[in-house]
Amino acid sequence: MADSKQFGSVTLIFDLERCLTNSLEQSSDLELARLAGSGDESAFAEIVRRYGPRVFRVASRFFRQRSLVEEAAQEVFMKAFTELGSFEGRGSMEGWLTRIATNTCLNLLRSAKRRPQLTVSDLSEAESSWMDNALAQTAREQHQSRERSLVAADLAGRVLHTLSPDDQLVLTMIDGEDASVKDVVEATGWSESKVKVLAFRARRRMREAVEKLLNGKTGKRKSGGPATI
Amino acid sequence: MKNEHVIGILEGKPLVELGENELEQIRAHVVTCEACRHAYEAAQVCAMLLQQRAEEIFEPSPFFQTRVLAALRERQADNATWAWSRLWRTAGGLASSMVATVAALAVLTFVIPGTQNPDSQSLPATANGYSTEAVVFDENAQADDQISNNDVFATLYETEDDVVK
Repeated sequence: MADSKQFGSVTLIFDLERCLTNSLEQSSDLELARLAGSGDESAFAEIVRRYGPRVFRVASRFFRQRSLVEEAAQEVFMKAFTELGSFEGRGSMEGWLTRIATNTCLNLLRSAKRRPQLTVSDLSEAESSWMDNALAQTAREQHQSRERSLVAADLAGRVLHTLSPDDQLVLTMIDGEDASVKDVVEATGWSESKVKVLAFRARRRMREAVEKLLNGKTGKRKSGGPATI
Repeated sequence: MKNEHVIGILEGKPLVELGENELEQIRAHVVTCEACRHAYEAAQVCAMLLQQRAEEIFEPSPFFQTRVLAALRERQADNATWAWSRLWRTAGGLASSMVATVAALAVLTFVIPGTQNPDSQSLPATANGYSTEAVVFDENAQADDQISNNDVFATLYETEDDVVK
């Protein structure tokens, strides 16, 4: 009898928790922000659950290791928690968090060590082979395969790593994700003209970097000398 | 048109956004211009690389939410500890400054006055001849300057007699 009473009270607690979770899931962003700002941990947990994928997506533009992406995303939510008071619900929380995420990741990249140089001799065999076949007729079909995609993404990461964080962001968003200039403006808070100029220059820098690698490979075949970006 | 370099077009917008006319212009030009051909090839490689890079997206792990909340609690605890330690340090500084003040006052009260002249110790203000104490308690000067009643009457009546005369 006593056991059944205890069991009943435990069930009641679970039901209450479920009700609370359900009500938080249905809460608006502004309500969640207010609750979390006043110290409600479960409301903040709901924000993390709701916008975690979005923040990870932004952090993935900057970092290629899961651990780094996760660390950056955690930092983003920490910052968001301290700045919850500034969220007034005029724009979407997704946009607000995207901007915090973009600026946090940019700062993390800026504070990182000096950008390394990339030479042809640094390329792995797979990367070298990808470069050889990149312009061949069959390249498009070939790089569809999972393995070659990984090689390409790896090489892209290494080439991008030689550019500034701003250049990396603009190129990844506009040229990689087909985002518009306006999307970059919203994510960063920069002016439209700045984004356009940055994109123009970044495109040139990356093209020149890849061109040097391609020329280096040709030169390597001829003379064996390495090309440096 | 055919002889115009196309690098500007390549840098102006993403390769996938170039129109058919622009692509025609590029293709026609790169046949004769080696520099632009290299640039075009590099731009194509760049476009492929960036598309591959953009496809790499991580999803949060099931434990991410727990991790963030744990980090948040840890940071809040750190902040609370830091606030207490700051309060403790401030109180410590205040107490030590109070001790130093008391010590300084004790030195001024008991040590420094003992080294002075006993006369000046009993009436330190007499060092200044124009001080209130000097005027009030200077008995010698008072005795010299005091005028008796007779002197006053004599002076008054003498003056009146002189006027009558």
